[in-house]
Amino acid sequence: MFGFLKGLGVTLRQLPKKKITLQYPDVRPEWPERFRGVHRFIPELCIVCNQCARICPTSCISLSGTRDPNKKMRIDTYDINFDICILCGLCTEVCPTESVLMSDTFELATYSRDNLYLDMHWLYENELQYEQRYPERVPQPAGEAKEEDA
Amino acid sequence: MDLSRLEPHRLDPIRARQLPVIEYEGLTPEENAELRRGGVMLNSLEQLKAWARSNSLWPLTFGLACCAIEMMGTGASHYDLDRFGIIFRASPRHADVMIVAGTVTKKMAPLLRRLYDQMAEPKWVVSMGVCATAGGPYVKSYSVLKGVDQVVPVDVYIPGCPPSPPALIYGLNLLQEKIRNEARGRKVAQA
Repeated sequence: MFGFLKGLGVTLRQLPKKKITLQYPDVRPEWPERFRGVHRFIPELCIVCNQCARICPTSCISLSGTRDPNKKMRIDTYDINFDICILCGLCTEVCPTESVLMSDTFELATYSRDNLYLDMHWLYENELQYEQRYPERVPQPAGEAKEEDA
Repeated sequence: MDLSRLEPHRLDPIRARQLPVIEYEGLTPEENAELRRGGVMLNSLEQLKAWARSNSLWPLTFGLACCAIEMMGTGASHYDLDRFGIIFRASPRHADVMIVAGTVTKKMAPLLRRLYDQMAEPKWVVSMGVCATAGGPYVKSYSVLKGVDQVVPVDVYIPGCPPSPPALIYGLNLLQEKIRNEARGRKVAQA
């Protein structure tokens, strides 16, 4: 009888405590800043150095670029195959211009494997959405920052 | 920058509305064609069945690698799959859904197929993680199956290594949506 009441006491003590369940589809989880979600890509910064494609452990990145009249490399296509991308973040670590970065997008489940092959346009759109969600994390371009100082 | 192709991974609504087909269980194709012409009662019955099925998905406990840890975490109280009526079962004969969580080796593939065959109809398969989807980090390996869709028909693919619990919940919600939409006669995905 005493053990029974003791057990009930444990249950009763849990009742006033705050619920720990995250109501996910209604409440979005708050990811930390360094969370490794789906990539975002800024085509203007890319110098087509191919380092991300070389370091990728699953070789899921494929890219191509051309030289423009100013002898600068411009990116033409940038595809990430999320069939095999393991979101390790090595491509973002190795990128010299930080044109490929990780975002906190995680809702990528699909009905077909074809939709997991994402191109530059999708990744740039992801970057724009990320900037909308976290305006404070966007680095200020050097020119604009100087104007603000003056 | 050309942004006309926004979010190509989302389902194309025009393509999804093509070929409205309902297959009633246990009937011949001719009887199906007959019923599809009228079918107010049976269509609502199908929808009712889909509502019941989508809200009581019982997945088979089928963890193969580290994705299984994430699957257990999703089932535990912080993310709580029981909210959606998703309750893990230990026998394929109780289960509706098979969450393939992890690397499927070529040695495991026949067993995976056998477990799938032992499950009762209707049944669905969720491929969780890049290993199950296409081999993932073992894509150049000699012993790993390059995607479970070579062995069983997959309904939802969830990328990630491993997918976080919210990503798994998102995938399972997509599966529930698919079950409801197919009962309304909408074709959800092209093969």
